[in-house]
Amino acid sequence: MIRPETPQQLAEALRMLAGEHRSIRMGGNFTKDRLGGPTTAAAETLTTAGLRRLLQYEPQDLTVSVEAGMPFAELQRTLAEKGQMLPLDPFTGPGWESATVGGVLGANLSGPRRRLYGTARDMVIGMTFATLEGKLVQTGGMVVKNVAGLDMGKLMIGSFGTLAAITSVNFKVFPVPLFSRTFVMEFPTVSKAFSERDRILKGQLPPAAIDVVNDSRGCRLLVRATGNQQVVDRFSADLAQARSSEGEEESAVWHEVREFTPRFLAANPEGGVAMIRTPLASMGAEMERLKVPCIARAGSGVIYAHYAADPPPTQVHDESGMMKKIKLMFDPENLMNRGRLHGYV
Amino acid sequence: MEAILGPRGYLHSSEDLALYQYDGGIDAALPDLVTFPQSTEEVVALVKLAAEFGMPIVGRGAGTGLSGGGVARAGGVIVSFARMNRILEIDLDNECAVVQPGVVNLDISLAVEADGYFYAPDPSSQKACTIGGNVSENAGGPHTLAYGVTTNHVLGMECVLPDGTVFETGGRSFDTAEGYDLTGLLVGSEGTMVLVTKVIVRLMRKPELVKTMLAIYDRPEDAGATVAEITARAITPVAVEMMDGVLLRMVEEAYHAGYPMDAAAVLLIELEGIREAVEEQVEQIREACMHSRAREVRVARNQAERELLWKGRKNAFGAVGRFAPSSLVQDGVVPRTKIAPALDFILDVARRYDLTISNIFHAGDGNLHPLILFDPRKPGETEKVKRAGDEILQYCIQVGGSITGEHGVGMEKNEMMAHLYSSDSLDAIAGFKKLFDPRCHLNPGKVLPTGHGCLEIRQLPSDLRY
Ligand SMILES: Cc1cc2nc3c(=O)[nH]c(=O)nc-3n(C[C@H](O)[C@H](O)[C@H](O)COP(=O)(O)OP(=O)(O)OC[C@H]3O[C@@H](n4cnc5c(N)ncnc54)[C@H](O)[C@@H]3O)c2cc1C
Ligand SMILES: Cc1cc2nc3c(=O)[nH]c(=O)nc-3n(C[C@H](O)[C@H](O)[C@H](O)COP(=O)(O)OP(=O)(O)OC[C@H]3O[C@@H](n4cnc5c(N)ncnc54)[C@H](O)[C@@H]3O)c2cc1C
Repeated sequence: MIRPETPQQLAEALRMLAGEHRSIRMGGNFTKDRLGGPTTAAAETLTTAGLRRLLQYEPQDLTVSVEAGMPFAELQRTLAEKGQMLPLDPFTGPGWESATVGGVLGANLSGPRRRLYGTARDMVIGMTFATLEGKLVQTGGMVVKNVAGLDMGKLMIGSFGTLAAITSVNFKVFPVPLFSRTFVMEFPTVSKAFSERDRILKGQLPPAAIDVVNDSRGCRLLVRATGNQQVVDRFSADLAQARSSEGEEESAVWHEVREFTPRFLAANPEGGVAMIRTPLASMGAEMERLKVPCIARAGSGVIYAHYAADPPPTQVHDESGMMKKIKLMFDPENLMNRGRLHGYV
Repeated sequence: MEAILGPRGYLHSSEDLALYQYDGGIDAALPDLVTFPQSTEEVVALVKLAAEFGMPIVGRGAGTGLSGGGVARAGGVIVSFARMNRILEIDLDNECAVVQPGVVNLDISLAVEADGYFYAPDPSSQKACTIGGNVSENAGGPHTLAYGVTTNHVLGMECVLPDGTVFETGGRSFDTAEGYDLTGLLVGSEGTMVLVTKVIVRLMRKPELVKTMLAIYDRPEDAGATVAEITARAITPVAVEMMDGVLLRMVEEAYHAGYPMDAAAVLLIELEGIREAVEEQVEQIREACMHSRAREVRVARNQAERELLWKGRKNAFGAVGRFAPSSLVQDGVVPRTKIAPALDFILDVARRYDLTISNIFHAGDGNLHPLILFDPRKPGETEKVKRAGDEILQYCIQVGGSITGEHGVGMEKNEMMAHLYSSDSLDAIAGFKKLFDPRCHLNPGKVLPTGHGCLEIRQLPSDLRY
């Protein structure tokens, strides 16, 4: 296993491996091997986990720059000391503590609060990545608004490390809201849960998160309200029938949601998760059709369907062939993370 | 050409072409032909014909761009999207709309306003500029502070490659599809990689309450300090705009928006959201402003007062037009805690070059718009103004910022790119350009500096660097 300690070393390692035409398995701590399809056997393994410095943190500017191998949990702790956060919410519990920033971006992980804050593509303001040619390429910068040149960082997010190795990332960060309250409602059917979702999304109170969970315990709608005291009280009045929670009790509700997938996969070694993207209006029908445990980001058009065995293969749509051309531009011999991105590239 | 577009589908007389030599910036070049396709099929046919004759192709929306993006630098065919200006579908259940590229930005919000929705990116030119232009420049606006720029609101696109291939990216789902985020790569590509023929934009719920405030300062640095103070107090306004005294007086004379004529600077601050949150934040903002030595803080009492305050801001560039024959607006970005020193630096540049510079900033996100007033008929003046502008951009780079926050690089700042990015980074951009446009037909001579772009190929066929 190659474990570079600086971006230059990483770039040099990639250049040398590519020069020798050796296939590479590249990642952070390899906790997400069951996401995005496995890497087929590779001649060499290269980890970015050695690149873990905090490069710059400007709480007053709401920006931070870190190396890609920094554990995501460590970044979150650093921000929390200043009352700030990066609301991506990847699962970093037992067995996943070492998940790196680069891995979270490579797999484009996000969480319930994407309704309010968006996903990694909305929070990354700059990035540096190392290519197989041994170059360090910079895109974006340390300011929140920047349109100089192409936004190449967007391509790295969700690329499962098939193009280049991210060496550092700049984020815009957010203040932790003063108050937070979560509401849980149970419904006899999925469609009733989605009717309530429709009412909420068309109403005046924008939730920070709105999830529908459907499993052996039934169907539940989870709504998270954040803001000042009066705002969360307005939600309480609007959702009077719901069970509400704050503080540790609230954390436990969301911990269960975040833990759902890892726990399911641990219990089902043959299992897999399919991420189904659908327009908001078709989510209910889609979820009713799926007969397996599901978590839906009900305000963002994403359903995670959990299969105990034989998950359906994920299709990458690339009718124009542009994605393949991009892959070949970065990696003409298909050396990096072969088989990732669902075997597409 | 006539076979593709009909007799009224293009312009070629020299008087007509002269109208298309400029955009909103100061660079100019004459196109050979201006065309007005009405469908994607016509765009494809056009692009193929232009390729056959080896003519450059330059997309064009409303021509309000401020970096020469829509100027046919190497001549060729301008493809105007003025006749592809229909909103194809409004899909409120899925919180999105499907539009043609020639649709004017504001028209989307107007179309969904009655239902309680809006399209968030709001360039000050929103009454004129088009979605195609916005997507190509990755346009922002005052409310970018809270909602992000165009790229955060585009769900999918239909694009035409310079060889005539049509392809779609993204879709109506809010999530980027499995695979590489082509939408993210192409938004902001400044018409150099694809022509955009359809856009799916995200719509948002209109906020329950909006409050607009005006904070008045005797010293510009206090206005700058307020911006940092607002962030430090974790208050999240949706817009924080700053105007300096020079600009204020021009705007006030032109529009009578009620700005104080004697102030050194004002901040225009907007809050929106749930009623209770907004009301609390108004008080928090007032405290932050007073803490930073504001002379006075006013709150607009009704819609009419709000609109008046914004009218001055949104028409500021127009106001300047009454006072000088021409102006150059820069678009640098600095970390938002560096607003005050940046303003100092700009004033220093104005003194050293003996120029009038007025300032209007999207201060909340550190985006500076110094407006350099000048008379292009004076010999040497335009050159001097460009040098002063470049010096301000150098400063932005030095303090860790950028040369453009929303107007794009175009042909105005492409040489400056070599100061911002390493050669390897520029080569990577050039690599993408070549992948999408291998024969360098689309908007040549933009974005990349000499030595990295592809315009020089046309002049120096032996230069095969790229
Ligand atoms: C099937 C499944 C579903 C899951 N679903 C969710 C979910 O929905 N939400 C959630 O929050 N968590 C989810 N998780 C948990 C999550 O995957 C981990 O918590 C975590 O974030 C692991 O980080 P890592 O550094 O070990 O990544 P790795 O496994 O090492 O890397 C992940 C991917 O990113 C690439 N990569 C890593 N570093 C870089 C770099 N520097 N540059 C470029 N590419 C890089 C790798 O090549 C790899 O393809 C899921 C896990 C699994 C197995
Ligand atoms: C008074 C004033 C205020 C402004 N305020 C702001 C502001 O607040 N924020 C901001 O971001 N900008 C602002 N601008 C700049 C400008 O309005 C934006 O850049 C806008 O996005 C340009 O849109 P347009 O339709 O005029 O495009 P054009 O100027 O016609 O073209 C801009 C670029 O897009 C390309 N293009 C246009 N349509 C297409 C298409 N369909 N496919 C491919 N390429 C295409 C062109 O080739 C060109 O490179 C302002 C301009 C003015 C004059």
